Amino acid sequence: MKKIQIRQLIEKIEGEAELDFVFNKGKIEDVKINFGFYRGIEEILKGKDARDALVITPRVCGICNHAHLLTAVRAIEDGYRKAGVPVELSSKASDIREFTLACELIQNHVKWLYFTILPQLELYVNQKSEENYAIKATYLSSVITKALAIFAGQWPHSSYAVPGGVTCDPTHLDVMQATSLLDESITFFEQVMTGISLDRYLAIDSVSNLDQIEGDFGRLLYLLGSNDMAEIGQSHDRFIVFGDSPLSKAGKSIVTNFAKVDVRYVKESIQKGTVAKAVTYKERLYEVGPLARGMVAKTPIVKSLHKRYKDSVLTRIFARVHEVAQLLDYSKTLLQNLQLDELSCSLVKGIQVDTFEGTGVVEAARGSLIHTTTVKEGLISNYEIITPTQWNLSHGTKEESGIAIEAMIDTSSIDEATFIFRAFDVCSVCTTQ
Amino acid sequence: MSSSPKPKLLWLQSITCNGNTHSFLNHPDLFSILSHFEMIHHPVLEGSATMQDVLAGAVDCDVLILEGSFKEEGFLKAGVEVSSLIHTYANKAKYIITAGTCATFGGIFKQNDPENISGLCFDIEEKTSRYVRYAPKLISLPGCPMHPKWMSYVLLMLSHGKKIEIDNLHRPVELYGYTVHTGCTRNEYFEWKIDTENYGFKEGCLFYEQGCQGPYTRGSCNKILWNDTSSKTRVGTPCFGCTEPAFPRISLHKTKTNMGIPAKMPMGVPRRAYLTLTGVVKSFKIKRFSERLMEYDK
Repeated sequence: MKKIQIRQLIEKIEGEAELDFVFNKGKIEDVKINFGFYRGIEEILKGKDARDALVITPRVCGICNHAHLLTAVRAIEDGYRKAGVPVELSSKASDIREFTLACELIQNHVKWLYFTILPQLELYVNQKSEENYAIKATYLSSVITKALAIFAGQWPHSSYAVPGGVTCDPTHLDVMQATSLLDESITFFEQVMTGISLDRYLAIDSVSNLDQIEGDFGRLLYLLGSNDMAEIGQSHDRFIVFGDSPLSKAGKSIVTNFAKVDVRYVKESIQKGTVAKAVTYKERLYEVGPLARGMVAKTPIVKSLHKRYKDSVLTRIFARVHEVAQLLDYSKTLLQNLQLDELSCSLVKGIQVDTFEGTGVVEAARGSLIHTTTVKEGLISNYEIITPTQWNLSHGTKEESGIAIEAMIDTSSIDEATFIFRAFDVCSVCTTQ
Repeated sequence: MSSSPKPKLLWLQSITCNGNTHSFLNHPDLFSILSHFEMIHHPVLEGSATMQDVLAGAVDCDVLILEGSFKEEGFLKAGVEVSSLIHTYANKAKYIITAGTCATFGGIFKQNDPENISGLCFDIEEKTSRYVRYAPKLISLPGCPMHPKWMSYVLLMLSHGKKIEIDNLHRPVELYGYTVHTGCTRNEYFEWKIDTENYGFKEGCLFYEQGCQGPYTRGSCNKILWNDTSSKTRVGTPCFGCTEPAFPRISLHKTKTNMGIPAKMPMGVPRRAYLTLTGVVKSFKIKRFSERLMEYDK
């Protein structure tokens, strides 16, 4: 028995994590993922006014705060509806929300690509370039969050969504400025990230056409391919999406089976040795995030990659970057069709429900984000947040290892395992809240 | 040109959401600002040291940026008490910048453990035991998050050897001398005491019902716009007072009133003055303020 355990601090993710790697005969046999500190957002919310969640919950996470805001507002709206108060969003309000959420997702994916994946891959395969990836990351993320801020006032930590709609009242001037910033982002995608036009990129539907992709994404694919990394990092090959979004309908996908899902079967449980809670759906583990959305939506290029490489690091990374293109394209349509003459907030002032329970679901950058709020006499009596990373980074069940852990098992070095880990776009602050 | 070495910059995170990190990454001239410094370590950007080096207490530091609330015991990174790290580098540093409301006053995360969690040098407004030691080099940049340009102002002033004027809570006066109300596009409605009809309108003030704290919150959000573009109040969201020591207060979307008058007065305004003025302006009905700012299809 030659078992060795090595503890490694992983930085340059969102926050930090400590991984305990168990090696057996030169291969990783098990990994324990440990996250730092429980900040108690759910506890902080108890006793507060129901709408205070719109200000407090974005502070769960500096990089996906907007997704928390939109999940929180959907939870309240769901509760209002269940209590018999109709909440109908105007198409304007719902399109603006979709647009700002898309901007935040793009920001997330691009930061992950340039701050994490490209530099870490170059380090791992020892092919370091002289590129300043950080300036690319901050350029695109600040351009796209500027477009977000036109409607939401600021990023990070906007609270512009309220039950019934949004607080902003944009003009054509605002929409034109946002369109121009979006066009700038598309230009960046075309000229820096991929080297081809967005339309041509979006037409790519099979592995055999991947050689059309150049730019930084092309380099990423080349480095993965030329270093035999296309097939590493496979996990349980089970995917779940809880929120309907332009990227995917809700549902789950195992092999070729698609099935509907219901949030009521999600179970959260405490894990030993970490402050992060694990989640399962009907007692089983599922991967969430861009790869899950691509699989459930049967996005042709994601399915094509999956057919050849399964749920490997290549498929997972590709699915995330691919969403940038889908979201840019979708955002363009949203802005073009925005109906400015509609009401921004359709809930009449003063209408408030005092006792309700509601659940909100949003597809955030890393996967399904779920908030459930229980309100009694105007005050929050219970608040539950389930974040995407809780799905992907849980320790697992008695029967099987967690999603990210399974992906790391059987690799032979910490560097390799760590790269696989980072491909999930790890966020420690969301995981521990 | 001076050939003296660049000041060494260390960005350290305590109990945080990383929001100040991401806020600062939005700065349009981030890299030219950082070019005045040698980056030792940053949560996202490249630095000369690894986190392990930082944890070992072994790296140099001239300017310490601290993000996140402070807890003397029980918040560890890789087995190291973060408070001890903060003390190590705060002692080494020539300047300490507390980035955000958490690091400055305790912020949101204080509310889960009010006895033990605070800012580094302030616990809400009270000075902590650490204040005396660090006060001579302390600069506070509260805000949830802090604005990227507030940080760049401080960094540029330091790198150019200029003195930063600060107030009693160590906030730069050039940034926090204003209230968030200054420059708000709804100021006319405030002056004439005209409430907004509902969320989602350009017209009307958010101070009377929606809970806007702009008139008594220090910060230049409506002067130095967010993302070079906008602000909460410009998009119809009330100011929640996120730069203030007691952030977050409760019932953030409601204005507390006494007999229909906001319970909390605009900063420095005596109640009597406010009531007198209200009496005068309410006795007039100005047609323009009851109309939309712009009409389409007319």
